[in-house]
Amino acid sequence: MFYLRGCGRWVAASFTKQQFPLVRLSSDSAAPRTPHFDVIVIGGGHAGTEAATAAARCGSRTLLLTHRVDTIGQMSCNPSFGGIGKGHLMREVDALDGLCSRICDQSGVHYKVLNRRKGPAVWGLRAQIDRKLYKQNMQKEILNTPLLTVQEGAVEDLILTEPEPEHTGKCRVSGVVLVDGSTVYAESVILTTGTFLRGMIVIGLEMHPAGRLGDQPSIGLAQTLEKLGFVVGRLKTGTPPRIAKDSINFSILNKQTPDNPSVPFSFTNETVWIKPEDQLPCYLTYTNPRVDEIVLNNLHLNSHVKETTRGPRYCPSIESKVLRFPNRLHQVWLEPEGMDSDLIYPQGLSMTLPTELQEKMITCIRGLEKAKVIQPGYGVQYDYLDPRQITPSLETHLVQRLFFAGQINGTTGYEEAAAQGVIAGINASLRVSRKPPFVVSRTEGYIGVLIDDLTTLGTSEPYRMFTSRVEFRLSLRPDNADIRLTLRGYKDAGCVSQQRYERACWMKSSLEEGISVLKSIEFSSSKWKNLIPEVSISTSRSLPVRALDVLKYEEVDMDSLAKAVPEPLKKYTKCRELAERLKIEATYESVLFHQLQEIKGVQQDEALQLPKDIDYLTIRDVSLSHEVREKLHFSRPQTIGAASRIPGVTPAAIINLLRFVKTTQQRQAAMNESPKTDQCLRNADRLQERQL
Amino acid sequence: AVNKAEEPQNPPQLGHLAIIKPLVYLTLRLSLPDALIRLPSGSRLCTRRSSGAAAPGSGATIFALSSGQGRCGIAVIRTSGPSSGHALRILTAARDLPPARHASLRLLSDPRSGEPLDRALVLWFPGPRSFTGEDCVEFHVHGGPAVVSGVLQALGSVPGLRPAEAGEFTRRAFANGKLNLTEVEGLADLIHAETEAQRRQALRQLDGELGHLCRGWAETLTKALAHVEAYIDFGEDDNLEEGVLEQADIEVRALEVALGAHLRDARRGQRLRSGAHVVVTGPPNAGKSSLVNLLSRKPVSIVSPEPGTTRDVLETPVDLAGFPVLLSDTAGLREGVGPVEQEGVRRARESCNFLATVVASVGAQSPSDSSQRLLLVLNKSDLLSPEGPGPRPDLPPHLLLSCLTGEGLDGLLEALRKELAAVCGDPSTGSPLLTRARHQHHLQGCLDALSHYKPSKDLALAAEALRVARGHLTRLTGGGGTEEILDIIFRDFCVGK
Repeated sequence: MFYLRGCGRWVAASFTKQQFPLVRLSSDSAAPRTPHFDVIVIGGGHAGTEAATAAARCGSRTLLLTHRVDTIGQMSCNPSFGGIGKGHLMREVDALDGLCSRICDQSGVHYKVLNRRKGPAVWGLRAQIDRKLYKQNMQKEILNTPLLTVQEGAVEDLILTEPEPEHTGKCRVSGVVLVDGSTVYAESVILTTGTFLRGMIVIGLEMHPAGRLGDQPSIGLAQTLEKLGFVVGRLKTGTPPRIAKDSINFSILNKQTPDNPSVPFSFTNETVWIKPEDQLPCYLTYTNPRVDEIVLNNLHLNSHVKETTRGPRYCPSIESKVLRFPNRLHQVWLEPEGMDSDLIYPQGLSMTLPTELQEKMITCIRGLEKAKVIQPGYGVQYDYLDPRQITPSLETHLVQRLFFAGQINGTTGYEEAAAQGVIAGINASLRVSRKPPFVVSRTEGYIGVLIDDLTTLGTSEPYRMFTSRVEFRLSLRPDNADIRLTLRGYKDAGCVSQQRYERACWMKSSLEEGISVLKSIEFSSSKWKNLIPEVSISTSRSLPVRALDVLKYEEVDMDSLAKAVPEPLKKYTKCRELAERLKIEATYESVLFHQLQEIKGVQQDEALQLPKDIDYLTIRDVSLSHEVREKLHFSRPQTIGAASRIPGVTPAAIINLLRFVKTTQQRQAAMNESPKTDQCLRNADRLQERQL
Repeated sequence: AVNKAEEPQNPPQLGHLAIIKPLVYLTLRLSLPDALIRLPSGSRLCTRRSSGAAAPGSGATIFALSSGQGRCGIAVIRTSGPSSGHALRILTAARDLPPARHASLRLLSDPRSGEPLDRALVLWFPGPRSFTGEDCVEFHVHGGPAVVSGVLQALGSVPGLRPAEAGEFTRRAFANGKLNLTEVEGLADLIHAETEAQRRQALRQLDGELGHLCRGWAETLTKALAHVEAYIDFGEDDNLEEGVLEQADIEVRALEVALGAHLRDARRGQRLRSGAHVVVTGPPNAGKSSLVNLLSRKPVSIVSPEPGTTRDVLETPVDLAGFPVLLSDTAGLREGVGPVEQEGVRRARESCNFLATVVASVGAQSPSDSSQRLLLVLNKSDLLSPEGPGPRPDLPPHLLLSCLTGEGLDGLLEALRKELAAVCGDPSTGSPLLTRARHQHHLQGCLDALSHYKPSKDLALAAEALRVARGHLTRLTGGGGTEEILDIIFRDFCVGK
């Protein structure tokens, strides 16, 4: 059923133990023939695939365990990737050599950059993706990743052993037990179970257990986690019905065409696989009062809407939109599901009405009068684990070497999942090789904001990335994700290829050189007016104007500037990307200077690490209120910076913690060179290097 | 004489009240007004750092009045940070810095107007050999409020300088390894006290007209920012209503006008209220106004035998036992009277409402925890018959006074002196001068940031201007988190798909 390929890296769905010798890689020759890996990743969704490949890129022998190999890379909900904020995450995943951006460049059918007119800091790279192509390309990539093994199987339980004394946590994970009773051992385990933990699908008043339509949920694993003492919450989400393409009257609807030229997601690609003229359009239609009427008249048939489980405020079902914003027309985007797909995805019509009512409602909508529903929309309710129970490296506080990534942590969206996947994969691998964790700070990337928000504040609704969550938005842009993360990913994590690293280094030095050259060119404003007549340079004084300041004007780009001052600027226009990035740097230059000051302040707090083994509830040397102790105990912040962001942790408590860190450092220094002190110092040193 | 307070509206029942009926309670509540609303540094950190206001990083240069407040011959103002030297040169109009660690006499003048401020001793401590490890300057100026206020405002006008956050000097010193652990021990307590005091100060300050204004402005700005953010995060795919940006633009411009007018006005109009704050409160006809008149030695309040004569909060600056004090007379606390008096009662409660909870929770056991203190005074002691029984023995510690005969006044003044010494000597209470400098700094900062709001160009830049502006306002009003923004977005718009 699955074929083997390439030097035994790919183990086909192993249903029997007899097939395990293929992957027996245990270094202990005396050990029985039980498979042993460095890292096991459970789940083959967007977090799982990124986690598995990231761990493998870092050099770990990795096993990806999934219910069904043919659903690896499945896009279970919308047929699109990216968007505002989410596109930022994808650029960062790509900067760490993750997969999703590259796969999207090979699988899209409609590429469009959102927010084009609102400034490059908030551009949102987005594309409609061919589901089938994405899955194919993803599976090809996964199967060709060195050190990565894929196996089918449902995990029922975790194998736990005594904890390592030098780390916190009440036990340590050392493998998994599958449903068939077989065991696989590993140094680290990553759970990326998405909505499968006690997943429940809801249509109308019907509910049945499932992680995704047609897939079994994970119940044993959910029980294991609860027994271990993890705090579990419940969330809900939904997906719209799918409509037959040939039953829609597109001719009366607004058409949206893709960008020309298409902008690729990945730093390594200059173009995407498909020409703009071959791409598919999207169409826009609106709901109307008849839709509202059907929703309101049938609330009694809709248990998902009535339930109290928290759903997202921002990805609401049509039912909650009608309830919260009555008497309005709501947008419905009709999106292609793929090149040769007969389905259309009505974005904006997520619903859980009984199936027959879904069709009735849809046929009320303009253009959909004769629409046929091929698959009904449905709601999903699932368990998530309070993300305050994990560290910024995504390892759990409770169980050593157990990592969580993706929807299990209360997020929503492919991109949010992928971002966590990369970080979990890297850290699971670093943990095996006993290296310090790879943590992205809020000051370094959207990934950092996402994980810091989750681990310090938790979440009560599915967490989605917005640019408004990011305080250093002008510094953390889609264009400079490589400068921010690729270099660190190469040096600190080892997850980045040599080629990508060298490209990022070249880009960084070229940008720095370009900016300093642009700063050094100074002319009077009248001379600039002669050189570039189309721009009206406003100067109140007769001070000389730098080329960098001229480049700030909307009408000016590197090309026009290089035409005016060919030497030495001409060479910076040869690389399109470099020229565009210099323009962006110029646009934000003045603000970035101030933001850098602020970033330094935050990083100072981030550099002050709190010892991991503090027992906040009993510790005596620190005077802290009971409330503060409980909060610190639950979230276990790793740095003073993170502690100070927890609501309710007072400034006085922070100062007390500072004092405690200092005392601990001194004590440890006295005890002759402790690794923790070293680490604190190293981190402080690294700060200097990390400045943009 | 610090007492566990009774709720003013609910005086303790006296056993022999029949005999000493005229004996009435007066409570004198002491607190410092207008002291720093400096929000503790952590309270900013606790919010998501969307403020955009200057962070306590190595970048910013901070200044503060570091000598105690009250009357003093010399006041010391300190700066710390990379722009310290620059600030010193600007204020002394000198090209060179004075020799390091030597006291030099210099004429300080306001860099904006050139107006001389004071002849002062200045000391230049280049880092790292300084208190904080950074470049520091000390200005030893003559201690009058006008001079101190002038120098603080002059410093605030130097680019790159801002008023220090609570404990920020110490924190910097700590970060740079300049403090030993015993020195830091006290810091936490200090910051705790500051936080507590500031919470009340902020409440009190923000009760007034200015607070009302600030909160209104912050609300407007938060909403405008939320709408711009919604336009950035959702505008493309979702159908936001028409004119969201235009509306935000109109509101921001109106805010700019209001802020500008206020700032021009504030320089002349804002009365500098220095000193400790003493509120006289109690039931009607207890003789509160008589006591105020007695203490201020002038007829501040109208007195009459009729209960409810005082219907508003009357404030008068007085010199009490050598301390500058703002004395407030309040309406008697009672229910069921006319609307005007009810308003007076409401204001009276408000003027000490931030005390009520503290009084109830702090009590006599841990008075040091709070800068808020209470004296229980029983007036009309002249009506006690000398041979009759005294006030009930189970009353909390109290003072007897007769405003009519003046008997007991010396005892009261002595008790007040002790309290005031404790309050004014408390390092946790900041200077009102700094409060004002701080207000002006942030309002000006807000106004400056708003001038960079140009939504027609790069919207991310425009939003950044609003974020910085909002950061300045929320430093004064509190709040300022990202969640507030998201709440408004999801309340006002149907976004998401």
